[in-house]
Amino acid sequence: MTLQVNNLSKQIDKRQIISDITFNWAPGEIIGLVGRNGVGKTTLFRTMVNHYVADAGQVLVDDQPIQRTPTRQRDIFFLDTQYNFLSNYSLKELPDFYSVVYPNFDRQRYNELLRHFELNAGDQYRRLSKGMRAMVNIILALTSNATYLILDEPFDGLDVIVRENIATMVIDEVADQRKGFLISSHDLNELDGLSDRVLLLKDSQLAHDYNLEDIRATAKKIQLVLPDKTIPAVLKEHSHLIRVSGRVLVVVITNYTADIDQQLRALHPVLLEELPLTLEDLFRANLAHDTGYQLLK
Amino acid sequence: MQNQVTKLIWRRHRRTFVLAGLLSLLVGVANDLITLHTLNQMPGHTELVKASINHWQVYEGGSFPAYSFWLFIVAWALGLVLMNQDLKDNFNQFLFSSGFSRQRVYWTKLWQGLAATFVIVVLTLAVQYGIFWVSLPARVGFHLAWPGLITSWGYGLAGSLGMFAMCWFAALIVGQTGALVVTLIGFTLSLSGVAAIFERLNSKGGLGWDLNGAQLAWLSAGSWVVAALILFIWGAYLYQHLSLEHNGEYLLFPELRVPVYIVFVVYVTGVNGFNGTDGYSTVISFLVAAAFGYFWLWRPSIMAKWHRWRSQREG
Repeated sequence: MTLQVNNLSKQIDKRQIISDITFNWAPGEIIGLVGRNGVGKTTLFRTMVNHYVADAGQVLVDDQPIQRTPTRQRDIFFLDTQYNFLSNYSLKELPDFYSVVYPNFDRQRYNELLRHFELNAGDQYRRLSKGMRAMVNIILALTSNATYLILDEPFDGLDVIVRENIATMVIDEVADQRKGFLISSHDLNELDGLSDRVLLLKDSQLAHDYNLEDIRATAKKIQLVLPDKTIPAVLKEHSHLIRVSGRVLVVVITNYTADIDQQLRALHPVLLEELPLTLEDLFRANLAHDTGYQLLK
Repeated sequence: MQNQVTKLIWRRHRRTFVLAGLLSLLVGVANDLITLHTLNQMPGHTELVKASINHWQVYEGGSFPAYSFWLFIVAWALGLVLMNQDLKDNFNQFLFSSGFSRQRVYWTKLWQGLAATFVIVVLTLAVQYGIFWVSLPARVGFHLAWPGLITSWGYGLAGSLGMFAMCWFAALIVGQTGALVVTLIGFTLSLSGVAAIFERLNSKGGLGWDLNGAQLAWLSAGSWVVAALILFIWGAYLYQHLSLEHNGEYLLFPELRVPVYIVFVVYVTGVNGFNGTDGYSTVISFLVAAAFGYFWLWRPSIMAKWHRWRSQREG
């Protein structure tokens, strides 16, 4: 099973919002969609699920275009956090709608998760706090049992506890490789440890499609303290400087080889230790110059 | 598949249907009670239904409404609410990604809306007629006849269908609820001007059709049905191409702005021209329609330019 997005384009008010977006997505993948605010992440989602009529391109599920085979849309779940109909209903009424559309909607699990997160089924959706709404949205997504789940900025403005809950649920859900997530965020830290692949939107186009495992296999983040204050040639040539604090340097070397390791050790550093490599480090090292990506720290 | 979409639309709109039905019954019963109260004040024997009920023409009696005017308003409101509510409450987002084809959603919603309107009409009429049947004082006669009833019902249902279609279509292309209601009230009121044109054409001074009351009623009913069918089919085409990025704008299809402007100016000028007494009023109505229509349809960009100009002036 795969979902293919082929050359999807959308113009709004004569402005090109997304252009020629193409990627494949398989169950078991957690894809992060990143890009600056207003770059077109939500427009891409809305066009993918037919809220917006695409100017060109198509979305295929198992090689069937959803425009021509609308039932395949049921394999995709997307809840627009800005424009949805949930406000007029109580939480216990929502499954009445979703169970009609998603044939495998798990009503029992929905109620269990509401209880687990101490959400009152009788409450109106519009009366919930932002965090509670985010939890309901993710609960609906998971219990829909759709194969492809799209989450638009699911962590935006949430406290750390809710974030962790959502991240844990997402990771648990893909464990059996039957579901995939496409998660948008303008904050790289939110996707760290969650996504195994990152799509980067820039200037209305898909600028990069990165497999983080491949990158992490060759890259290293190193903290080192050198005897003198000059930055040696090996670092200038092969590394991206992340932080300088006195004599302490933090660098990312995207293609770390035994030769580079040997050259570094030959400098007789006072300290040379490997640090955990974050998504933000990778972007800082690889993409900061050519993506214009907003690094938040 | 069809059962599922029927269930979904019913679940979504059942409250609206029930509310419209209850309101219609309430108004119908209230009208009957007022009529009964008036009849109770009148001395001597009287007939509630006039003898004209025996003719094949729309019955226009004083106290007995063969087809209550209120029922046109119910159809008007239901057509508007059914289409506008899904847009305003963002239920369209759910429908469009529900896995049901848009055509299936559109026609299912339409037939449910029409069926609900029909049921409300039948129930309201049954209750209204029933109240008269059981509550009229013995000295008030209540004699109905098929010719007047059938003509009134046929004309009433066709008119209600037309009202429903008009609001349904307008709510499909207009994305602002307040502006939609204003537009529809304005257009509905203007229909009296269109009716006046038909009356003039029918008169001997006009085209001289010289149709009698029954013929006029059936011509009018037929026109409503044809107009409704055109609007429903055109609506189905537009619904297929509805893209929700223009939610909240006056026109959900920006490419319709120029055609709507031309139709508006021609329509307003035409209605005023036909019914006006001199050429000056036609010219004035043309200028007013052209200016108002331009402001109404292009007001976001006009207002944006105005705000830019003001901020530049102040800055």
